[in-house]
Amino acid sequence: MIPTAFEYERASSIDDALAKLKAAGGEAKLLAGGHSLVPLMKLRLSEPKLLIDIARIPGLSGIREKDGKIEIGAGTTHAEVASSALLRDKCPVVADAAGEIGDPQVRNRGTLGGSLAHADPSADYPAVMLAVDAEIHVKGLKGWRAVKAADFFQDLFTVNLAPDEIIAGVQFAPVKAAAYAKLHQRASHFAIVGVAAALEVAQGTIRSARVGLTGASTHAMRLSSVEQALAGKPATAKTIEEAAREAGAGVEAVNADIHASEEYRRAMIPVFTRRALAAALARV
Amino acid sequence: MAKFASAMLEANENDLVFENGRVFVKGAPASRKSFAEVAAFAYVPVPLPPGLEPGLSEEAFFEPTNNTYPFGCHISVVEVDRETGEPTLLKLVAVDDAGHLINPLIVEGQIHGGLAQGIGQAMIEEAVYNADGQLVTGSFMDYAMPRATDFPRFELDATVTPTPVNPLGAKGVGEAGTLGSTPSIVCAVVDALSEFGVKHIDMMLRPEKLWRIIHGGQA
Repeated sequence: MIPTAFEYERASSIDDALAKLKAAGGEAKLLAGGHSLVPLMKLRLSEPKLLIDIARIPGLSGIREKDGKIEIGAGTTHAEVASSALLRDKCPVVADAAGEIGDPQVRNRGTLGGSLAHADPSADYPAVMLAVDAEIHVKGLKGWRAVKAADFFQDLFTVNLAPDEIIAGVQFAPVKAAAYAKLHQRASHFAIVGVAAALEVAQGTIRSARVGLTGASTHAMRLSSVEQALAGKPATAKTIEEAAREAGAGVEAVNADIHASEEYRRAMIPVFTRRALAAALARV
Repeated sequence: MAKFASAMLEANENDLVFENGRVFVKGAPASRKSFAEVAAFAYVPVPLPPGLEPGLSEEAFFEPTNNTYPFGCHISVVEVDRETGEPTLLKLVAVDDAGHLINPLIVEGQIHGGLAQGIGQAMIEEAVYNADGQLVTGSFMDYAMPRATDFPRFELDATVTPTPVNPLGAKGVGEAGTLGSTPSIVCAVVDALSEFGVKHIDMMLRPEKLWRIIHGGQA
């Protein structure tokens, strides 16, 4: 429960943090809320020689609307996201999901960027970022990169982010008709299965749908077969029921642990897909 | 007290009179010391009278003629989600009899704490070991400690049946909350799932366990 010895430095800007990362030559980790990294360090699964604290970089946190899109800084805590009036009004699914992360202590410390970079297979944000089709803004020594959420989560704890890059924030077009449904693991309150769904509905017809799944497999993923089954159909409970029925059938590697077997998790994917879609439809 | 008073009044212990919270030498009530003065001196006795140690203390043992027998009744209302197997405790009423309640607030606090422990054990807490004997719920990431948000607002009441075996008529209450709540919750879930032929469910009430009972055919 005691980490190996490490040095600590506080970065004053993203560029300063990038310079410190480069200087450490792969031996450093970025520290924001510390709610994923520090437990790993205590178990000595992660043994960085240097922690670069990015929590107090000016401008790295905050939620704002710009040109019709919403931007959330990487350093924004889950509690700030959960209580954001802007998100509650324009894109409540993001605030809802943040409010279901862990417990109040975790939500007061943990950050959006930290959760995305860590990419725990049971984290809530990845499913939501997939559903709102967020762009993840990344900065490296060579400049800025924007990565679609669908291209970001790649494998177990593995994301499209180089060791010398930093997530600065996310940007997405707000979707009102979107919702998150989650089966809680009662100790950690990670998702045993979590589904975020966003619908675009016009004249009673579902124009398009995006459905993000977390908790079930190595990493969060879109349920494209469900999305396709919804597109062009009437926006009704029956449509949702039918589209959700086979949800997750194509997911190859489904997790199993003491909290839920593979069989149970597989059975929960359609249930929570339907619930997320129904809640999204109720917001149209 | 007599020893310290005799030192203060420079008199023989046998000549002291204790009266109305004061002590004085027989026949000389004018030069008297209050109990408080004697007690204060006892804790800072300068100079220390020969043969004495600082402080006033006395220890006595009371042996009741029998144990006390608190009792009570806990009733739980639990809802089980048919699709997921998740149990939700909607309501818990606990009526306990701890005899005379000297401090009802503390009694309620004891029962609240006990209920948290009892409910936790029934619903979310479990020490799980793997085949090698390794504890796999060794951290609070896997072992669910009950939190305030895991509970509904408890409804408490009390009957008062004083015990005859002590002068206060008070009975124990420390464990009352843990005793009734656990079986009450499990029995409520067994009752809820009785249509599936279930008569017994081992704690804890893991959602998957209940889901398997409900979906036995397809599980």
